[in-house]
Amino acid sequence: MFEMDGDGKGKKSKKEKKKERLEGMKKEMDIDDHEITIEELEMRYDTSIKKGLTSSFASQVLERDGPNALRPPKGTPEYVKFARQLAGGLQCLMWVAASICFIAFGIELARGNLASFDNLYLAITLISVVVVTGCFGYYQEFKSTNIIASFKNLVPQQALVIRDGQKNQINAVDLVVGDLVEIKGGDGVPADIRIIFAQGCKVDNSSLTGESEPQSKTPECTHENPLETRNIAFFSTTCLEGVANGIVINTGDRTIIGRIASLASGVGNEKTPIAIEIEHFVDIIASLAIAFGFTFFVVAMFIGYEFLEAMIFFMAIVVAYVPEGLLATVTVCLSLTAKRLARKNCVVKNLEAVETLGSTSVICSDKTGTLTQNRMTVAHLWFDNHVHAADTTEDQSGQSFDQSSETWRALARIAGLCNRAVFRPDQEGLPVPRRLVVGDASETALLKFTELTIGNIMVYRDRFNKVVEVPFNSTNKFQLSVHELEDPMDLRYLLVMKGAPERILERCSTILIKGQELSMDEHLKESFQTAQMDLGGLGERVLGFCYVYLNEKEFPRGYKFDSDEMNFTTSDLCFAGLISMIDPPRATVPDAVMKCRTAGIRVVMVTGDHPITARAIAANVGIISEGSETVEDIAIRKRIPVEQVNKSDARACVINGGQLKDMSSEDLDEALRSHPEMVFARTSPQQKLIIVESCQRLGSIVAVTGDGVNDSPALKKADIGIAMGIAGSDAAKNAADMILLDDNFASIVTGVEQGRLIFDNLKKSIAYTLTKNIPELTPYLIYITVSVPLPLGCITILFIELATDIYPSVSLAYEKAESDIMNLKPRNPRRDRLVNEALAAYSYFQIGAIQSFAGFTDYFSAMAQEGWYPLMCVGLRAHWENVHLQDMQDSYGQEWTFGQRLYQQYTCYTVFFVSIEICQISDVLIRKTRRLSVFQQGFFRNKVLVSAIVFQLLLGNLLCYCPGMPNIFNFMPIRVQWWFIPVPYGILIFVYDEIRKLGVRRNPGSWWDKELYY
Amino acid sequence: MASNEEKPAAAALTTAAVVAADKEKKSSWKDSIYNPRTGELLGRTASSWGLILLFYLVFYIFLAGMFALTMWVMLMTLDDYVPTYQDRVPHPGLVIIPHSLDIHVNKSDPKQYGHYIQDLETFLQRYNDTEQEKNELCPPGEFYDQEGGSMEKKACQFKRSLLSRCSGLSDTTFGYSEGEPCILLKLNRIIGLKPLGNPYINCTAKTDTPVQMQYFPREARIDKMYFPYYGKKAHESYAQPLVAVKLLLTKEDYNTELSIECRVEGCNMRNTDARDKFLGRVTFRVKVFE
Repeated sequence: MFEMDGDGKGKKSKKEKKKERLEGMKKEMDIDDHEITIEELEMRYDTSIKKGLTSSFASQVLERDGPNALRPPKGTPEYVKFARQLAGGLQCLMWVAASICFIAFGIELARGNLASFDNLYLAITLISVVVVTGCFGYYQEFKSTNIIASFKNLVPQQALVIRDGQKNQINAVDLVVGDLVEIKGGDGVPADIRIIFAQGCKVDNSSLTGESEPQSKTPECTHENPLETRNIAFFSTTCLEGVANGIVINTGDRTIIGRIASLASGVGNEKTPIAIEIEHFVDIIASLAIAFGFTFFVVAMFIGYEFLEAMIFFMAIVVAYVPEGLLATVTVCLSLTAKRLARKNCVVKNLEAVETLGSTSVICSDKTGTLTQNRMTVAHLWFDNHVHAADTTEDQSGQSFDQSSETWRALARIAGLCNRAVFRPDQEGLPVPRRLVVGDASETALLKFTELTIGNIMVYRDRFNKVVEVPFNSTNKFQLSVHELEDPMDLRYLLVMKGAPERILERCSTILIKGQELSMDEHLKESFQTAQMDLGGLGERVLGFCYVYLNEKEFPRGYKFDSDEMNFTTSDLCFAGLISMIDPPRATVPDAVMKCRTAGIRVVMVTGDHPITARAIAANVGIISEGSETVEDIAIRKRIPVEQVNKSDARACVINGGQLKDMSSEDLDEALRSHPEMVFARTSPQQKLIIVESCQRLGSIVAVTGDGVNDSPALKKADIGIAMGIAGSDAAKNAADMILLDDNFASIVTGVEQGRLIFDNLKKSIAYTLTKNIPELTPYLIYITVSVPLPLGCITILFIELATDIYPSVSLAYEKAESDIMNLKPRNPRRDRLVNEALAAYSYFQIGAIQSFAGFTDYFSAMAQEGWYPLMCVGLRAHWENVHLQDMQDSYGQEWTFGQRLYQQYTCYTVFFVSIEICQISDVLIRKTRRLSVFQQGFFRNKVLVSAIVFQLLLGNLLCYCPGMPNIFNFMPIRVQWWFIPVPYGILIFVYDEIRKLGVRRNPGSWWDKELYY
Repeated sequence: MASNEEKPAAAALTTAAVVAADKEKKSSWKDSIYNPRTGELLGRTASSWGLILLFYLVFYIFLAGMFALTMWVMLMTLDDYVPTYQDRVPHPGLVIIPHSLDIHVNKSDPKQYGHYIQDLETFLQRYNDTEQEKNELCPPGEFYDQEGGSMEKKACQFKRSLLSRCSGLSDTTFGYSEGEPCILLKLNRIIGLKPLGNPYINCTAKTDTPVQMQYFPREARIDKMYFPYYGKKAHESYAQPLVAVKLLLTKEDYNTELSIECRVEGCNMRNTDARDKFLGRVTFRVKVFE
């Protein structure tokens, strides 16, 4: 622990360096490939937009730039991972103790005292404990890393590239700068590409920016910011529809996504709260050990020991304070919880992160893919002058609307027919929402919606033969198609149209209400407007639908429809209704957010998506609660300018990336402090990082959830980063500490609960483990000061620490929560420590003291009953330990050889051991609860604990009565009645603790509560 | 309204954290020892220290009381004459006098071996004939059982003169001046021990040529009448039986270290324990210089 303070400065300078690198990274984002002309681009990359690169040149460039793949983040070398397991707070304490043992052994050896190998054994044991638990922890991490690695996508990405004028399908890894590539709907974008030709090309940027809306890509430069402009498509995004050609401008790590990924690796990992707690605890132990050791050093000098001897006493006391078994206990407890979490689909990469969720006070959650399904879904319909809600649940378990209306049938027919999206083949077995579709997001949504409501839409479409269609474009903002009717006798053509609601309305003269075609009046128009505004305000994308039966005479069968000329009726149509779509929240999210709130955890949304959508989803899942207003809302309600609104009146606040850019860090802190419900929209990866830092500055322990590459820096910076297992990108998973295998946000609640529980239970385990330190130490102190024969030996202590008491201390990890921990606030990391002074004092100076008295009672009894009266024992040490004295007289005049005295000493070790065991049984029972009575908690409810007690007793008996033990491990077969001498003290411990708990429960806040509640 | 309650709570949480952070900045390590603003010494005020120390005083007095009580109860169960258990002393150890396992004798330098003689002489004081005549003359060859009767037990005579040439009466240097040193052997006292058989001592030198030895009393017998022992309190005048062995060394044996092992034989007393080399046997080295 001493070393740690030392390298604080070193770390700081490293951090500064990293900061510089981050700054550098931000500047590097400046590229101008999107601004220059195509000719300049051809010049720059020695390429041609017709023929592409030559193969030979391409291979040269490949040699120069390396493959087009994200370099896997420089994985920590395995030996460093292992070394990290050996360098925690407790481990350092044990290293220091081991070296003290070696020094003490060296001193003894130099003084010619060959008999005492205890120090050597102790040192070796300490080191092996550290190494063995290190191996265990390493193995645990190795296992979870493997689970995560198995999720990696192993299928190599393909790219269609034009080289030497020839189209070739090659591995995307072999792409180089200057390559001419072609992408079409369904493809992944294989590199950063400057678009030179595009037709209806739309790209899903959600993995990069978090936008749920697809972005259309065109050859024109529309923005100076490369991230905003339309003529660059980014590596790792997917093309949803349309086709495009482009020149590769960046490959591998030089792509935007590569830079974000390396931004993540530049962010330092935060120390976990539990690591901080353990360091604090080590500080307490170390200072107590040194204080104790020094006191007895002085006492020993005063009594008249030599300096060197006193020095050895000092070292022995310091070492005796090291709880050898604690490291193993903590590691096992944490991995038990990790296992429990893994069963609930949370995989933890770093054991210590298990507890972090329990301390979390702020969750910064990404929206797309984390809170939402990342799948456009029909949310609402407006027809017959009413808004109908559609079922948006993932498994179609929700309520559906009334589908009996004639209007609905018309609307569904338009939605089904005026749609170019199709299912990929061979997916009949899959539930509809999970089937893959070729087409843009809203068409996909409509396709799935109609498939679910009408059924088998592909066959349905075949019945209405399509004659012509006009695809959507940004100028007319509608899409239409003309179909033959399914009734072969009816020779009319049906024209169906969908598009932006206003544009559709413009073309309509009638409206379908309850199957009746009514003329569009002002009243209906107004209600249309309100419906459209309402749905838009929910963050939903609204589409209008209309249709008309074309006049049979004007457009007879075989009429030549022309999609460019549009030689057919496109006005005076009949309006059918509105359908609005949204990327809906996952079903479990609102409930999980609510649970987080009751648990005192603030959920902040941080997304790259648009503010309106973000806000709508936030309101939907409860991040912005009902009735909460933003400053803008208040301004509108009170009809006053935004500046006049008292900011503290607004509970909610939506800040977008642009505003955030102009805010100082103090402003951000202030905003976070004054608004409990926060939504950040349009944020860049760096801004996510800034938000996390700000929360941490306010003293919060921050969890970040996310799935995209854009989340990875924030995931890394967070106290605990949580990535989605299915939807999550590799970069996100790499940066995270925890992975939700089922992408279920609700698992976080489980994580919080388990984290809080393990914090409470670790406290109990530690209290249990610390207690016996005192009865292990006092024999030595009495031995030094009163010179009695040594009551408890070093090997015996190690057996208590590392054999009999491990299982009971681990069994406390199975203890149920005492109260409803999910209704409490998260712990305050500054005040609610894992090990506080009350815990140490209660364990050491009260329960530990009782145990010591129990041990000495048993010790003196065993001595007296074998012939050595208590008073005679005092001052006996020098003669007792004299190897040459073979006829030492006891209180009855019997003469003892040294060997006989040694076995008597082992008998004392054993009775002391038995006393500690008996008291520890009582101790483990009282540690079941900190506040409740054990009777309230249930004596036998924790089966593991009961079996641990049985195990402890059996092992104790085995040690005592197994033949051969005396000479190997210094255990003697003791008289049965010596097992019962400590029982009254065990009862005293139990009764005293019940009294303590009663006092704590009855008088909260009293002196008793403050001093004795840990 | 529930939402109104939550708001100040959230604000309080953050402000508390800020206050704590400020406090941390101002306080230094010196304050943790003595804080002049609050009058806290090691984190507590005087009254707080007083209360907690009072608590611990009461607590420990109670514990000490309980300890004293249990110890008193335990002591009440003890017998003054016989230990409750003798689990660790089933067999007696064998001890030599002088109390040294390496006996180096320069026979021409009385000062050099003087301390051995001193040791022997002191040890034999109890066996002076005048002293021993107060004890009983017991029938040899049988245990001197005194079960029942008074608590005070009688002891059997073991006169120093029984050791004749090793009694130090005729030869006050116990043969050390002649290069034929006497070594006394005694069995450790163990209450109630009754050997089965007729115990005697047998010593052997671990050399190529056998060393002549002379035992006193004759045949190195330990008579059964000296058993059993009734303990310090009941058997105050008890004199445990001795065997003296006189090493009749010759000139060839001088200046070399002789390793001699003595064992109790002829009875059930253990003399082969692998761990305890002093149970019923003893090994010592003797070196005589001219």
